[in-house]
Amino acid sequence: MKWKYYPYIPVLLAYVVLFLIGKGVSGMWQLMSMLFFYCALGQAFNIFLGMTGYVDFGYVAFLGVGTYGMAITISKLSYLQGYGILIIIAGFLLSMFIATLLSVAVGAVALRLRGAYFAIATIGVNEGFRFLIEGAKIWNGSEGIIFMSDLNRIIGSKSASSLCTFWADVFVVIIALLAALVTLIYMRSKIGYALMALREDEDAAKVMGINVTKFKIIAFITSACFAGLLGASAWALKTPYVFPPEVFEIHYTVEAIIIVLLGGAGTLLGPIVGGLVYGLSKYYLSVIVPGFQLLIFAPIVIIIIILFPEGIIGMIKKRTKGRWVERFII
Amino acid sequence: MIGNQILGNLLQGVILGTVYGMATMGLSLIFGVLKVVNVGHGAFIMVGAYCALVFFNTLGLNPIFALPVAFLLGGILGLFFYYSAIQRLLKAPELSTLLATFSIGVLLEEVVKLIFGSEFRGYNWMVDKVDLGLTIIPYSKIYASLGSILIALALYIWFNKTRAGSAIRSVVEDEEGARVCGVNVRSTYAFSFALGIAITVLSGVLLTMFIPVGINPYMGGGYTLKAFVIAVLGGLSSPYGAFFGGLVFGLIENGSYTLFALIPGVEPFALTRFLSFVILLLILLIRPEGILSKR
Repeated sequence: MKWKYYPYIPVLLAYVVLFLIGKGVSGMWQLMSMLFFYCALGQAFNIFLGMTGYVDFGYVAFLGVGTYGMAITISKLSYLQGYGILIIIAGFLLSMFIATLLSVAVGAVALRLRGAYFAIATIGVNEGFRFLIEGAKIWNGSEGIIFMSDLNRIIGSKSASSLCTFWADVFVVIIALLAALVTLIYMRSKIGYALMALREDEDAAKVMGINVTKFKIIAFITSACFAGLLGASAWALKTPYVFPPEVFEIHYTVEAIIIVLLGGAGTLLGPIVGGLVYGLSKYYLSVIVPGFQLLIFAPIVIIIIILFPEGIIGMIKKRTKGRWVERFII
Repeated sequence: MIGNQILGNLLQGVILGTVYGMATMGLSLIFGVLKVVNVGHGAFIMVGAYCALVFFNTLGLNPIFALPVAFLLGGILGLFFYYSAIQRLLKAPELSTLLATFSIGVLLEEVVKLIFGSEFRGYNWMVDKVDLGLTIIPYSKIYASLGSILIALALYIWFNKTRAGSAIRSVVEDEEGARVCGVNVRSTYAFSFALGIAITVLSGVLLTMFIPVGINPYMGGGYTLKAFVIAVLGGLSSPYGAFFGGLVFGLIENGSYTLFALIPGVEPFALTRFLSFVILLLILLIRPEGILSKR
C-alpha cells in the first residue's frame, strides 16, 4: 500500500506538540509563537527557494504588503459596526490579493531571468517598494498606520487583546500547516516533478518540453501568497501598527534563507527543523549575547553551504534510506 | 533659474557618478572573471568607509591616507574569503555562491557593528569649497572624483598593458581558451577576486566624502542595489562599462532628484531610490544581458 501523504504526519505532530507545550506550560506561549512564525516563514519561503533553487532576496516585501493589506482593511472599514470577524477575513483576503499582485508584477519581469540575474532583480524589490511607499506617500507614507483603536472598535477591546496574544499565533500555525500541505501536494504532482527537473538542469528541462517559466511562476505566486497571509497575521494582527522600515527589513529575508538552508532546501520537514533550530538558538543567544545573533549565524550559513548543502533533513534522508521511517521523511 | 539649478545638480551628478562608477568596477570584475555575483558588495564599501572614519577621527589623519590601507585590507579580505569559501563553491549551483557572498556581507556588517556600534558616525573633513557659478562643490568631493578617475585609468592601463591584466581579460573572454594558452586560471580567479574586493573597499573611502549624515554598519545595502543597477547598465562583466554606467547613474539620480523635488507632497529622496529599482527592472526586461553587451 502506498499512501501519498505519510510525510504530513510528522508535520502535524510537530505543530500539535508545540501548540500543547505553549498552552500547557505557563510562560512558554511567547517562545512558541516565535517558533510558529519561523517555521511558517520557512515553510512559505521553501515553496519557492527550495523547490526552484532560485534565491529571492526581496521575499520580505510580500510579508510587508501583506501587513499593509490587513492594516488598510481594518483602518478603512472600522466604521462598520458588528461585522467583526468578517472584516478580519476581508483583511486576509486583501493581504493575499496584494501579495499576489506584487508577485505577478515582479515575477513577470524577474522570472524570465536566470540564476544570478534573477537574484539581482529581486534584491531591489524590497527597498524599491519601501521607497515607493515612503516617497509617494502611499498608505500614509513613512508615518505608517496605527490601527489598535480601530481594531478595538471592530471587535471590542477584550477580543482584540485575545486576538493579538492568542488567535494571531493560531492563524500562523494554520498558515504553516496549509503551506506544508501545499508543498506536499506540489511535490506529489506534476508541478513538483517539473520543478525538480528545473532545479537540476533548467536547459534540459526546457528541451524535454517542460514549460519552466509557468512552473516557476506557480511556485513564486504560491510562496508570495503565504507570505502575505503571514504578514497579515504574524505582524499586523499581533502588533497592530505598520511602519515601512520595519516590515521591509531585509533581515527577515536573511532569517528565512537561514531556516530553509539549515533544515534542507526543497524538503517538507526542513523548514520545521530549521525553524525550530534557528528560533531556539536565536532565543537563547539573545539572552547570552544580545544583539549579535547574526554575527554567529552568518558564518554558520557559510559553513552549511560549503559542507552540508543538503541541510539537516537532507542528511537524515540519506541515512534512513530503505528503512521504514523513510516514508515519513521528505 | 530652474535651468541653472538642474545644470548644477547634473554637474554634481557627474562628480558623484565617477565615484559610483569606481565603486562598481570591483563587482563587474568579479562577475566577469568568476561569474560570481557579490551580493555582499555594499558591505565591502562600508568597510572602506570605516577605514576613512578611523583615519580621520581616531588617528587624525587626512582620509586620503586611508586609500592604500583600504586597498591592502580589501586585498587581504578578498584572498581570505576566496580561499575559505568562494573557491569551494565555484562548481556548486549558483544558489550557493549567492548565499555565501550574501552571508559574508552580513558577517562583515556584524563584525563592524561589534567593533564600532550600530549608531551613525560622521566625520567632517573641512576643506574649502569652490564656486563654479552653477553650484558650490567642496574640494573633498572633487578630490574623491579625481581620485576615482585616476584609479579607473590606472586599472585600464594595467588591464591592457600588463601580462596579468591580459590574463584576466582572456579568462573573461573564454576560460577554456585561456587555459589552453597557458593562463593559470585558478590563480587568476583568486587574484581577480582579491583585486575586485580591494578596489571596492578603496571606493568606500572615496564615497564617505559624499555622505553628509555619517555612516553605520548597515549603510552598504543601498549601495549594493545601486551597484547592481550601475553594473547592469554597463553590461555586468566589464569594469569600464561599470565606470561609465556609474556616470550615467549619477546623472539620472541627481537629475531625477531635481525633478521629483518639483512635485509637491512627495519625498524626492525616497523616490530616486525607487527609480533606481525601476531602472534595474527595465534594463533587465529589455536587455537581460546588459545594455552594453555585444550581440
